[in-house]
Amino acid sequence: MSSREEIVTETESEMEVRQTRPTFVSVLKKSGLMFWSMAPLLIGIMGLVGLLETLVTPEMLSVLFRGNPVADTAIGTVSGAAATGNPVVSYLLGGELLQQGISLYAVTAFILSWVTLGVIQLPMEVEMFGMRFTVFRNLLALGGTMLIAVATGLTMQVLT
Amino acid sequence: MKGGKGFRFRGKLFLLLVVAAYMVFFMVNAAEAYQALLRGGLLLVRLIPVFTTVIFMIALVNYFLRPAQIVRWLGRESGRKGWLLSLLAGVVSHGPVYAWYPMIENLRRHGGRDGLLVVFFYSRCIKVPLLPLMVDYFGMTFTAVLTFYTLVGSLAQGWLMDRLES
Repeated sequence: MSSREEIVTETESEMEVRQTRPTFVSVLKKSGLMFWSMAPLLIGIMGLVGLLETLVTPEMLSVLFRGNPVADTAIGTVSGAAATGNPVVSYLLGGELLQQGISLYAVTAFILSWVTLGVIQLPMEVEMFGMRFTVFRNLLALGGTMLIAVATGLTMQVLT
Repeated sequence: MKGGKGFRFRGKLFLLLVVAAYMVFFMVNAAEAYQALLRGGLLLVRLIPVFTTVIFMIALVNYFLRPAQIVRWLGRESGRKGWLLSLLAGVVSHGPVYAWYPMIENLRRHGGRDGLLVVFFYSRCIKVPLLPLMVDYFGMTFTAVLTFYTLVGSLAQGWLMDRLES
């Protein structure tokens, strides 16, 4: 095949691809439709967030801590996972807990699990990624949060 | 809009349960239930820009990337590039994690590997815009140590997920 023939062939196949390729607008519409199909899940999650923010206040969470570093790390992880809202709230609450004498391990676990673990979004996670993925991911995040909290606490003791 | 071929709403039962919970809450304490509804509604309004961004990003991925390219970047053979990409995506992603589920599911369907998704989910813990606030509350050393361990922990969890999946 001569180089001219190759060029012609390539150009023709490129044109073919361009003709069969959907336009960006149609891809955007399809993406919008895909997102829209998840509207019940998203609205349900936001409804639950509203419920939880109203029923579970930061003050309620702060009284759960006992002053025992090991138990508090577990409590921090679980309460952070159950809580919801902007991560800023977890920083504010974490700062207050530190001032109350709660261990750094517990506060670190609380801040981490606030973002990485979420009881509220579990139904949506299962629906979208399946039970197996959700269980593995959340167990890894749970274990990871506790380990990182302990590692951070120990490192801070060495550094300060 | 609902008439697309194969279109179906997902999570209808879940939404019904939430609606039922609100109805019970309204009967028990109407004022607080209204507050909860208002909070949920405000959250929805606040998240519209994030949802718009996610829809646009899904479209960009589907338009510009072929499944083979996604597999090359985020699949089994993606190597260091895949780890780095998912770590970076997690750190820079904004808004609540559930807003990103549709995009992540889309990538996964096109060959994205579960280990890298786990890295993305965990590294979201690092919120770049909030780092100054964290420094202010907990100090520079704590912020640096926690950020470092979070990055390492994200990668470790991704690696473990891959081992669990194989």
